[in-house]
Amino acid sequence: MTGKGIDKTMNYRDLFSGIAFLIIGVTTVWMGKGFFADAAYVPIGVGTLMGAFSLPLIWRGMKSVLAARTTTAAGRHTTPHPAPALVDHAPRFTTTLGCCLVYYTALPIVGFYTTSALFITLLAVLLGERRPAVVAGITLGFITLLYALFAVVLKRPLPVEFFLAS
Amino acid sequence: MFESLLNALPVALQLGSLISLFVGTLIGILIGALPGLNPVMAIALMLPLTYGFDPIIALGLVAGIYNGSMYGGAIPAILLNIPGTPAAIATTFDGYPMTRKGEGGLALKTACWSSAIGGIVSALALMTLAPMLAKVTLAFGPAEYFWVAVFGLVSIAVLVGQDVSKGMLSALLGVIIGLVGIDTISGEERFTFDSLYLSGGFELLIVLIGLYAVPPVLEMAEKRNESYFNSDSFRAKPSGGSLGLLRRHWRTWSRSSLIGVAVGILPGAGGNLAALLSYNEAKRKAPDPETFGSGNPVGVAAAESGNSADNAAAMIPSLTLGIPGNLVAALVLGALMIHGLQPGPQLFTRSPDVAFGFMWQMLLTAMLLLLLGGMVATRLFAQVLRMPSALLVPTTLVLMAVGVYTVNGNVTDLYVMLAFGLAGYLLNRLGFPLAPVVLGVLLGPMAEQNFRLTMLIAQNDWTVLFTRPISLGIIALLAVVLLSQLWKTLRHRRQSQDQAA
Repeated sequence: MTGKGIDKTMNYRDLFSGIAFLIIGVTTVWMGKGFFADAAYVPIGVGTLMGAFSLPLIWRGMKSVLAARTTTAAGRHTTPHPAPALVDHAPRFTTTLGCCLVYYTALPIVGFYTTSALFITLLAVLLGERRPAVVAGITLGFITLLYALFAVVLKRPLPVEFFLAS
Repeated sequence: MFESLLNALPVALQLGSLISLFVGTLIGILIGALPGLNPVMAIALMLPLTYGFDPIIALGLVAGIYNGSMYGGAIPAILLNIPGTPAAIATTFDGYPMTRKGEGGLALKTACWSSAIGGIVSALALMTLAPMLAKVTLAFGPAEYFWVAVFGLVSIAVLVGQDVSKGMLSALLGVIIGLVGIDTISGEERFTFDSLYLSGGFELLIVLIGLYAVPPVLEMAEKRNESYFNSDSFRAKPSGGSLGLLRRHWRTWSRSSLIGVAVGILPGAGGNLAALLSYNEAKRKAPDPETFGSGNPVGVAAAESGNSADNAAAMIPSLTLGIPGNLVAALVLGALMIHGLQPGPQLFTRSPDVAFGFMWQMLLTAMLLLLLGGMVATRLFAQVLRMPSALLVPTTLVLMAVGVYTVNGNVTDLYVMLAFGLAGYLLNRLGFPLAPVVLGVLLGPMAEQNFRLTMLIAQNDWTVLFTRPISLGIIALLAVVLLSQLWKTLRHRRQSQDQAA
């Protein structure tokens, strides 16, 4: 990726992120207006400032996008490389997120230690760890350590295991 | 006073006191190293257990946990980009990039020495300057606190990252996140969308773990087949000896420790602000400011000495005036009262052994950090990076989950953490710095409360914000930061234009 290529992609993104921040700023001011007396000062002020600071970002992004279009229309290509992806490796990214969501959902139902052990094993395998002894050893050691610390020493209440719940 | 101080030394060196210092420091390092657990929680849990102990033993445990946790927070900040405590946010800026570069061992050693030096300076300040400095803080009103918060927020937004508008937008986003919940002054719900969960506002620790810890873990998961950590990370560099560190960082340590002490004396302004201001100042003074954020050890030294120098100094208003500077100081007051001692000026005359003994204990625990911190951190905790990255990802996610869950015992917090993690990941990729977001969440409410208090007291006369001498001093400092940044930007632009020409 050339420097110019990255800059142009970032400016495209700057344009959209600037618009997103402008929307957040305007919404904050709009909602802030409905607050009682001095509770509204800061929301209105912060929203206004956000709107103001998003303008240079939008301006810069628009200028860059327009310049890129002009050069493209003139038959010159200044961005020969594809834009850098927002996510480097989509399958691993979504797998990790998906496993997290399943883990958080199962946690109060199945219990902390069981769910955590299953989560570590499953995600490690899905991310490419293929040595069963290493996966089992680290999972067991880690869960034992957590149990000793949180259940025995600190006595912190964590979601109860399904087989212990009465 | 000096005589009382010397008389208290044997009390602090009693066997029981020494054991409590040792145990407290170890617990503190462990608590600090575990995201989600903080010194306030640990001390609050421990206080009822010390009811039957001698006050000096109970306070020894408090001193150990307090100082130990401040260094402990640096361990996950350096190794995993997870600030163990809010005060370790600034440590992640350069600590984690150092680990990525294969200098994790050096980063931990620098953090350990910096914490110890900061703690020692802070304890000495507590011993010598306590009565005098406490008088100065009495002059701070809400207007001054408002400007302190604005100064912290704007200087970070301007100095972190390359783009000022992106830094400011990040900071403002943080302030908006901090506004969510019931307004403490009017009782009105703001940005809650009638949700019971949102009416309590966002817990700082959940925002912190989400924004700081989730994005690097997601990146780690994406790059499974690439070498994520350098295997040489914990090999001490030949030039990384203790004397070498001392020679290299003594200026940073001196400057940051003084900042930490000054911030510590101000009630409400915690170690996080001390660390961030120290980091900024180190970056501003450095001949190579562009290397900050990409693994400059000076950044770690500044942040860690700054946040540790806040510790004992925060006790100055507590012990001399009975006004707690932070939550830990409030717990120390609680510990004193549990043992029948009355905080305030009379503490120094009625129970000088306890008051001055506690000051010695703060000094001794700071020294203990060099022994326990180095041993525990580099030889035990650092082993975490030897794990295969496919296993490091889920174990770190479990650690985060348990840390976040223990805050309120609510599973919804886990989803909120993940949402903040995704937002942080996206902001990072779009070139928005994350530090100002966290600072906005932290300092936004402080600035708002003090601003509104100022307006209430002055009956909406806003000129009061600009007329008090201390406020003017802070405004002048703010102007210096803004103008120096503007000058740097203009110089950089001119250089780029010259190069292009």
